[in-house]
Amino acid sequence: MEFPEDLKYTTEHEWVKDEAGQFKVGITDYAQDALGDVVYVSLPTADTRVEVGGTLGEVESTKSVSEIYAPFTGEVRSVNDQLNERPELMNEDPYGEGWYCIIEPDDIEGYTSLMSVEEYIEFLNSK
Amino acid sequence: MHNALKETALHDYHVKLGAKMVEFGGYEMPVSYPQGTLKEHLACRNNAVIFDVSHLGTVELSGNGAFDKIQNLLTNNLAKIGVSQTQYTHLLDDNGFVTDDIIVWWISDETFFVMPNATNTDSVVSVLGGNDITESRSILGVQGPRAKEHLAKIEPKLLDVKSNHTYKMSIAGVECQISGTGYTGEDGLEIHVENEFASDIFEMIINLETILPAGLGARDTLRLEAGLPLYGHELSSSTTPYDARLGWVVDLNKPHFRGREALLELKNNKSRRKLFGLASSTKRPLRDNLNVLSDGSLVGTTTSGNFSPVLNVGIAMAYLDDGDYNDLDVEIRGQIEKVKITKLPFVKHNRTKNTKNERQ
Repeated sequence: MEFPEDLKYTTEHEWVKDEAGQFKVGITDYAQDALGDVVYVSLPTADTRVEVGGTLGEVESTKSVSEIYAPFTGEVRSVNDQLNERPELMNEDPYGEGWYCIIEPDDIEGYTSLMSVEEYIEFLNSK
Repeated sequence: MHNALKETALHDYHVKLGAKMVEFGGYEMPVSYPQGTLKEHLACRNNAVIFDVSHLGTVELSGNGAFDKIQNLLTNNLAKIGVSQTQYTHLLDDNGFVTDDIIVWWISDETFFVMPNATNTDSVVSVLGGNDITESRSILGVQGPRAKEHLAKIEPKLLDVKSNHTYKMSIAGVECQISGTGYTGEDGLEIHVENEFASDIFEMIINLETILPAGLGARDTLRLEAGLPLYGHELSSSTTPYDARLGWVVDLNKPHFRGREALLELKNNKSRRKLFGLASSTKRPLRDNLNVLSDGSLVGTTTSGNFSPVLNVGIAMAYLDDGDYNDLDVEIRGQIEKVKITKLPFVKHNRTKNTKNERQ
């Protein structure tokens, strides 16, 4: 499994990437593998406010449903509409084309306080 | 805490192939292989797959009383078939409700293999008697429109296996019992083989490289598309065969079978819920145990649901108050998904296809 070094991670198996001030959110390789084939994704609405830990939407596979949680408090800037037609992108390219949404944090602390890749791998190993 | 799970003879082989293992019916079984449930599902619809279904039970019944025992207990009429044929049938309780759904393989004059669901094997043995041989044999299900054509490369006679028939045959020198049965809505067969040879046969089939291993995930989406009932979902101790629209499984002309008298009363009971197929117009999977509403009032509950890889929409089977419906709503975690009544099966059975004729 792959866990890129330039990302931040959450205990809900999500990643956040700082792309020049745009904070992209997605699910990790571990999460997509555990879910199995993703067949449906419900996305949040752009320009809505979200609280840390609040539900952004759901990812559904043939075998289960998993909620996606806001990694920090802020505002949803945009969503990956491609997932409506091609939910399998979450399996095929979880850190690339399978990204979920972009959230602007109220406070940069919300992002910087997330786990590093080393901390996330340690978290996975402790499970 | 739960008891240690049982393993089939092919367990280590599944792990070696990278399968994800889950608990099912007391066994640790492959839910999918690395290619994933969707690819496995479509491979079965378009080509061929192999399942390990050794978790199903096999009860061997033999002797001159065997026919009568089955005939006087189970709902279907065994006299409609003969030696070397198979039959789908039900075991009911005294109140006419389904205790299990069963396939009977008529092996030879006085020998039958009665195949209950994994978790019901003990209760079937307790009323039918016989010898539970589940632990000593494996069952490999090879399913798909091209299954027999591919298998013929190993043993040409497999091309001639007819639907609902069962034969003693050797595959590469190994004695097997082969039946033209399955649970996917596709043509195919099931191989009953002694455990010690199961890995050899499985490997031979995988090595053809035309038949993909498939797990219980695909088996469930395939049987759902085919509108086939699963015990514990569409069939249970609170449903009759008529509720599930499986009246053809019951022969009321037989003087005896368990639950017959109660069933006569229930047969025309209009107040009982009936099984319907539902399809949405989005990719969102429907699930089991969801409320089904008509103009805002509750009319029933889903029993199985998922995403249909062939139709590309959510599908479900549901028990609904008898009525003429068209548009209904399914409540999914507080949200409403619009569905239409859809005739079962969702995906037409391909079992009548005869690969031999097609090639001529």
